[in-house]
Amino acid sequence: METQCSQQSSITEIGEMLQVAEPTHADIKTCGGPTCGLSNSGRESKDAKERSASIRKLFIAVLLCMIFMCIEVVGGIKANSLAILTDAAHLLSDIAAFAISLFSIWAAGWEATPRQSYGFYRIEILGALVSIQLIWLLTGIILYEAVMRLIHGTNLVHGKLMFAVAAFGLFVNIIMVVLLGHNHGHGHGHQAHGHGHGHGHGHDHGHDHGQHRSHSIDINITGENDERKSQQQKKQSINIRSAYLHVLGDSIQSVGVMIGGVIIWCKPEWKIVDLLCTLMFSLIVLITTINMLRNILLVLMESTPREIDATKLEKGMCEVDGVVAVHELHIWAITIGKVLLACHVTIKPEADSEHVLDQVIGYIRKEYNISHVTIQVEREKAL
Amino acid sequence: MADFTVSSEPNGGTGSSFTSAPATQDSFKHRLPDGETQRPWSGRYGIDSGDRRFSFSRNQSFKPHLLRNDSCIGINHPEEEELWEGHGKKEFGGTGNGVRNRSVLYQMASVLLAVRSGNRQVRRLALMISLNVAYSTVELMIGLLTGRVGLVSDSFHLTFGCGLLTFSLFAMTAAHKKPDGIYTYGYKRLEVLAAFTNALFLLFMSFSLAVEALHAFIQDESEHKHYLIVSAVTNLLVNLLGVWFFRNYARVNIAYRKAEDMNCHSICLHVLADSIRSAGLVLASWLLSLGIENAEVLCLGLVSAAVFVVILPLFRATGGVLLQQVPANVPTSAFNKCLRQVTALEDVSEVTRSRFWELVPGRAVGSLSILVKGGGNDHSVLHYVHELYHDLGIQDLTVQTDHV
Repeated sequence: METQCSQQSSITEIGEMLQVAEPTHADIKTCGGPTCGLSNSGRESKDAKERSASIRKLFIAVLLCMIFMCIEVVGGIKANSLAILTDAAHLLSDIAAFAISLFSIWAAGWEATPRQSYGFYRIEILGALVSIQLIWLLTGIILYEAVMRLIHGTNLVHGKLMFAVAAFGLFVNIIMVVLLGHNHGHGHGHQAHGHGHGHGHGHDHGHDHGQHRSHSIDINITGENDERKSQQQKKQSINIRSAYLHVLGDSIQSVGVMIGGVIIWCKPEWKIVDLLCTLMFSLIVLITTINMLRNILLVLMESTPREIDATKLEKGMCEVDGVVAVHELHIWAITIGKVLLACHVTIKPEADSEHVLDQVIGYIRKEYNISHVTIQVEREKAL
Repeated sequence: MADFTVSSEPNGGTGSSFTSAPATQDSFKHRLPDGETQRPWSGRYGIDSGDRRFSFSRNQSFKPHLLRNDSCIGINHPEEEELWEGHGKKEFGGTGNGVRNRSVLYQMASVLLAVRSGNRQVRRLALMISLNVAYSTVELMIGLLTGRVGLVSDSFHLTFGCGLLTFSLFAMTAAHKKPDGIYTYGYKRLEVLAAFTNALFLLFMSFSLAVEALHAFIQDESEHKHYLIVSAVTNLLVNLLGVWFFRNYARVNIAYRKAEDMNCHSICLHVLADSIRSAGLVLASWLLSLGIENAEVLCLGLVSAAVFVVILPLFRATGGVLLQQVPANVPTSAFNKCLRQVTALEDVSEVTRSRFWELVPGRAVGSLSILVKGGGNDHSVLHYVHELYHDLGIQDLTVQTDHV
């Protein structure tokens, strides 16, 4: 009898414990260990899947680029055309840019270490910065070569060759568009953001032409959770739109060069068209990179992300009952899509700090979808 | 009811961040009393542990920051620090949206004004940039008129470098702006960004020099560009002048104490690398005239290797700051020790999500999450933790206390 009673009581005890062990706020807040990375377990697998998808796409793009480069090298040696060979060298620089992108996407998935307490997500941004600098550098080199051509006053410009190589470049570009830009609209809003760079090339060994080729480089942008699906769709479609616009702009560049090639083919004395095309399209390339550069700079400067209205957030936090004031509010992003918040909140002397904390964190999480929040609660001194 | 706007105090005085609470024991902002500027790391745990001569201030120039233990002279720069102390609350709405829409012309005008009223380094940098621009324009004119390719290419290279130096100048002047709604941490990161860009450009330059060496090796044409000697020597002189201006930073490994250190170090290395390159060209011509084969390849290879070695520490340091790495001066053992000390408090059951990063060298930010046993007095725990990490040098700490 007694043992039965004790068994029953122990069973009810265990039942109570099980009931109590629903995820309390403390459990949600602690994610195990002093230096755990920035992702929750639920997000981890999604991130990993998205990352592996992008890595696969980029890998295929690199392989394709290599194949085209080999074709061009063989063709250039056969045709004894330095221009095609140097275009193959430019493809090599494209592969370098793809490699930077691949590396940054792969490295972003590394586990956090004691020296890198937030994990390695920033590597994406830095990799994008490096590849944009590469674009600017290449554009500078192209402009320099265009001026060189102007100085040397070359006489032979092969319009036909220019047209052919530009057409080939356009073909490659379209393949890249299809490969890298193709996205299904998923609820969790994975995005592949493309930014392309075009570059022309000329050689001053007696025959001249320029061709522009553009490729897309992926940058991973991970979206947030499924509740904000409509906003996700909008974010997705904006990203898709901008990616396609960008690569489309590069295709337009190739078409422009083809037009220039046709003009020179018909009227070989209008060599200046080549230079003008180069200048104009280099400018277009630079302008298209400016937007992405601005986003990168905003993240690197630890600024408040554009999609979050800090004033509204602060006002909303102050409206939570028990809160007197909000200080030292800092909102910043570790990479596009992962936002962190830190602030000090002063509460009334009689308020329950745990309850107020829960409410504030819940408000932030629900309204602004910022999940990595650190709030220091300070109690106002009772007067 | 307290109002929500706080006037910032530019002198780093005793004002707490709170509008209503007058007592300093509530301010976890660690404003030191009596207008003292926030002290940098006491260095007890760091590599340069000897901050004995810390308050040795000479306004005109200052000694370099040595990495070794024997002498560390840190200099106060009072004129710049005060501008930044007041990042207490401003209205988010007011200046926030305005900042994004400032036109380029306005920014350029503000840069010019700042240069005129700026401190020594800024003016020197502006002088150097104008010298470089003038020189490169002259070179371009001469090259275009006489049709010499080498001069034109050299002037292009110089122009690219000038663009970078202009960005560094802009960063130096803009970094003093006060934090606002969008840039809640201020603009000091611009200096680190400028340093990173400079380092990246120098890395590219070293790669391109290596490619050029390879090219010369394969083609095996020793182009005796004798007319380039004059331009190389002039370039060398101009760049050596720049190195003299920034002679305090002419070291490969520097302990960075302030944001400005990284920027000035990158400028100095940029100018140094340019002068190494010019010197290499002069050396190559001389060796060629002596009849040594492959002199160009050798010299270009040497220059490329030298530039790479010189720039790599700066690149890694600035990359580390931009990657949100833990402050470089504080070893991991110090963090572990602090963690153990916090966990050893009797009210504390667990410490999670401890993350630290460095905004600029000299300003570290952190956040912690502490599980406090129910009913514990938050205030003493908070105070203890803040004090502990402040000794490490982490001034901005946000501690979230969760009750079990």
